[in-house]
Amino acid sequence: MKAVLLLLLAATAQAAKLAVESAKYSVVSAKGEPTTKSLSPSERSSSEIVRIGQDDILKLSFQVVDTTTKQGVQPAQAFLRFYDEQSGEEGIQPIRVASSGKAKFDLNMAKPPATLPPTSTAPLKVTLLLGSASYHPEKLELFDLYIPASHPAPVHPDEADFHVLPELKHTFNAPPNLPPRAVSALFAGLVLVVPWATLLGLWLAVGPQVPRLFSPNILPFTASLGAFEYLLYRYWVDLKLGDVITYGSVLGVITVFTGRHALASIADKRLGTQK
Amino acid sequence: MAPKSASSIKSTSAVQTLFDAYTSQTSSRLKFIDAFLVFLILSGVLQFSYCVLVTNFPFNAFLGGFSSTVGQFVLTASLRSQVNPENKGVYKEVSRERAFADFVFGSIVLHFFVYNFLG
Repeated sequence: MKAVLLLLLAATAQAAKLAVESAKYSVVSAKGEPTTKSLSPSERSSSEIVRIGQDDILKLSFQVVDTTTKQGVQPAQAFLRFYDEQSGEEGIQPIRVASSGKAKFDLNMAKPPATLPPTSTAPLKVTLLLGSASYHPEKLELFDLYIPASHPAPVHPDEADFHVLPELKHTFNAPPNLPPRAVSALFAGLVLVVPWATLLGLWLAVGPQVPRLFSPNILPFTASLGAFEYLLYRYWVDLKLGDVITYGSVLGVITVFTGRHALASIADKRLGTQK
Repeated sequence: MAPKSASSIKSTSAVQTLFDAYTSQTSSRLKFIDAFLVFLILSGVLQFSYCVLVTNFPFNAFLGGFSSTVGQFVLTASLRSQVNPENKGVYKEVSRERAFADFVFGSIVLHFFVYNFLG
C-alpha cells in the first residue's frame, strides 16, 4: 500500500520537496543547564553560531516531512556535513532517520566520531544533506560550529612533491689564484718573441730560394692553405663548429685539387718531365 | 801556451766539426726546415718552463699550446726525413710531393684540434 503511494507520488510529483521541521539543538555541558535553541534550516547560509567545549554534548533533533502532505518522510540519505572553509577539510556523518521522519544526533566531544574532520580555530559549517529517489534533494545550512582544535591531519608522504621544494644552494670551487701580472706578461712576451726572432734570424741566414712561389701553378694552393688558417681565425672570433666543418670540408675539396695541380707541376719540374 | 786537456780539445773540436759539416753539407732547403724545428723546440721549452715555474692555471691552454709544438715538430721531422735525398733508399714509394701533402694535411688537422682545445 505504501509502495503504491510512493510510486504514485513519484509519478505525479517529480519535484516534490522535503522540509525539515521542529529542528532544534541543545548543548549539554557538565556545568550549568542544557541550553536549547530552535533552528530554521534553509539553503541560505545560517548566522547561528554554536560553541561547544571539550566536555560538552551537542544534541540535534529534527523531523523530515513532505511540504505538500505534511507527512513524515524517511529519506534514503540523510547526512551531516562538517566543512572547514579555511583548510578545506570536511567530514560526512550519516544520520539515522526513523520511518516517521524523526531524527536525532548526538555529538559527544569526549568521544568524537571518526567522521569529524581535523579542526583548527576556524568554525565548521554544518549542513544537512537529504536525498531521496522521489523528492528534490535538499542542502540546508544549520549553523557554524566551534569545537576545540584537534591535532592537524597527518601529512601524506608525497605532500612535499606538490609544493615548491627548497632552493638548491650550489657550492663552487674557489677562484684559481693567478700569478702576478708582470710575471705572466714577461713569459707571454718571451714565448711570443724569442722563438719567432730565432726563426726569422735563422731563415735570413739560410736564405733559401722560392723561385716559383707566385707562379699560377703554385699560388692557388698556397692561397687555399692560407684560407684554412683564416677559417681557423674566424672560428676563434665568430663561427660555430658546424659552420667551420662545412666551410672546412668545402675548402678541403678545393685544396685537394689545387694541391694536386701544384705538387704535380713541382714534380714535373723536379723530374724534368715538364710539359 | 799551455796545452788544453786532450778530452776538452776533442769535445770542442767534435762539436765544431759537426757544426762545420752540417753547415757545409746540408742543403739550404733542409736548413730551412731545421730552422723551423728549432723554433718549435724553443717555443715548447718556454711554454713548459712557464707551466712548471709559474702556474698551470689555464691548463687546457698549456696543453693545447704545448701539444701543438710537439705535434708540429713530429710532422716536420717526418717531412724532413722523407724529403732528404740521402734517405731515398728508405722511402721508395713516397715521393717528395706526397710527403709534403701529408705534412700539410696533418698540420691542418692538428691546427683544428688545437684551436678547439684552446677553447
